[in-house]
Amino acid sequence: MKNIVEMHNIVKKFGSVVALRGVNFHVRENEVVGLVGDNGAGKSTLVKILFGIHAPDEGEIIVKGMKFKRLNPKLAYELGIVLIHQERTLCLNHPIWRNVFMGREITNKLGFLKISDMKKTAYNSLSQLELTRMPVETPVKYLSGGYQQGVQISRALVFEADLVILDEPTAALSLAETHRVLEYVNELKKKGKSAIFISHNIYHVYPVADRFVILDKGSVVAEFYKKDLTPEDLAEIMVSIARTGSVPEKYKELNLYGRTQPT
Amino acid sequence: MTGIHGLKRAWRVISEYKLQIIITVIFLVIWLTFYTINPSAFANPFAYTSLMTVAPYTIIPAISLTLVVITGEIDLSFSSIMAFGPLIMAMTWQVQGEASLLGVILGLLGGLGAGLLNGVLITKLGIPSLIATIGTTFLWRGVVLVATQGFSIPLGEYRGSPVFSALVGRFGDIPIQFFWAIVLAFIFWLFLNRHKFGAYIYYIGDNRVAAQMVGINVDRVLITVYAIHGVVAAFAGIIATLAMATFYPTLGDIYMLKSVSSVVIGGTPVTGGVGTIYGTFIGGLILEFIEMGVVAAGVTGFWIRLVHGLVIIVALAAQGILRRREIIRARIMRLITT
Repeated sequence: MKNIVEMHNIVKKFGSVVALRGVNFHVRENEVVGLVGDNGAGKSTLVKILFGIHAPDEGEIIVKGMKFKRLNPKLAYELGIVLIHQERTLCLNHPIWRNVFMGREITNKLGFLKISDMKKTAYNSLSQLELTRMPVETPVKYLSGGYQQGVQISRALVFEADLVILDEPTAALSLAETHRVLEYVNELKKKGKSAIFISHNIYHVYPVADRFVILDKGSVVAEFYKKDLTPEDLAEIMVSIARTGSVPEKYKELNLYGRTQPT
Repeated sequence: MTGIHGLKRAWRVISEYKLQIIITVIFLVIWLTFYTINPSAFANPFAYTSLMTVAPYTIIPAISLTLVVITGEIDLSFSSIMAFGPLIMAMTWQVQGEASLLGVILGLLGGLGAGLLNGVLITKLGIPSLIATIGTTFLWRGVVLVATQGFSIPLGEYRGSPVFSALVGRFGDIPIQFFWAIVLAFIFWLFLNRHKFGAYIYYIGDNRVAAQMVGINVDRVLITVYAIHGVVAAFAGIIATLAMATFYPTLGDIYMLKSVSSVVIGGTPVTGGVGTIYGTFIGGLILEFIEMGVVAAGVTGFWIRLVHGLVIIVALAAQGILRRREIIRARIMRLITT
């Protein structure tokens, strides 16, 4: 399968703090990558560079074969990349339909909103995720955390995003809500989309990911296919990396890092 | 079933527009109170002509200020721009010796430039809007005072010219400036609620990070909002100048608090993200109504500030209670939608 996104030798410094130290990372078409690691490992920084919120100090980004030194959020959207964050990308006082279309409104030539078209399209997109319990006119602040994540995922569907980045989408959600968000991710996969799922909770990321990339202190230290590991194996690897900085001996054969990098 | 759906729909509309309903009710209560106190004054159409003559000077700058406040920012300098714009117009007319449209256009361009400066200071230099616009308030007032040396500029000789008639003439008994206020309110309502530019204004005030993340050029929207506010403030100053047929260097000073109060009474919180043009319009009418009512009630003008203050506090208290209820409602609804 082709790579939809490649990041080569990404370095990012914040003053004297080095957040990323030459990271290589890629996502294939119709693949869900679980980006895992301890707090401060550099997961969020990496995807913020991919979405254009931060500019890398070194390295290059290749999206659908096009090379970039840096991106910006508008360009990322145009390239089919959507970032979903816990509450960050929603306007809570505004109705669901406005949030679904935020930044990409359906308008006539003069820029006036086609409100009924937007409501209809939002409803259709939400119904694909079985999120029609609340009318599309409902302000987002009235929705539960899981429902809000659903609205953001529905935005990705409406924008026909090819790559959806989910940055800690299950943080602060109840068990049932987390389960629902994981179902949304599976729905994205069924629709042929790719996703990056960031979490420091491996039990959230394990059910949906095809491949795990483990970051530690700004570097990728390991990469595994899900088929090669159980959740317990992954937990053991994570603990070992956190304590010793390396993958336990018995899993080294399975570690793909350095072998799966795109040329 | 249809009846239940109709009721549900009606309830949704009521809850969506409850702030506007409350402000309208407050307006009607105030009107009824004054009517009861002095029925002869308030049954007289002249009272309403008088209201429609002066209310636009408060309401027009308040309309564009609403946009600024919805973005979560503030602009105090419009009170000085209300003098800076008509100063350019008055000086142009003095040079030309006629009441030209060019003078009005240059006055509006002066407002545009002043608004753009605010926008650039706030977005590109990162100066908080309160501080930046306090600075430009002094700047533009200073320019006006230095240019006029504190003297007024009489414009009475130009009365009756087409520019006068178009901006501050009469249509029957109705002052034209009130039409301008309504036209501007409609245009701003249209753009705020039906255009993507208006949507961006709301998004920036509600969640600036989110607006940036979806690719909205926040700086450009903010600069545009300040520029529009500058033009509209200059326009309000121009019609106030023409109505008095004299340019006063202190013009605008009294409108700073009145226009800001109109926005706040109208239900636009200074925290941004929400707000309506309708609320601001009625808020401005309430303030002007109080002035008229206090005078008509036969008490001294000193009472005006006191009643203004009371109404502002009551309106803000009502909004505060509503917002607290909203927070509780949101918490409950979040549980229901889990």
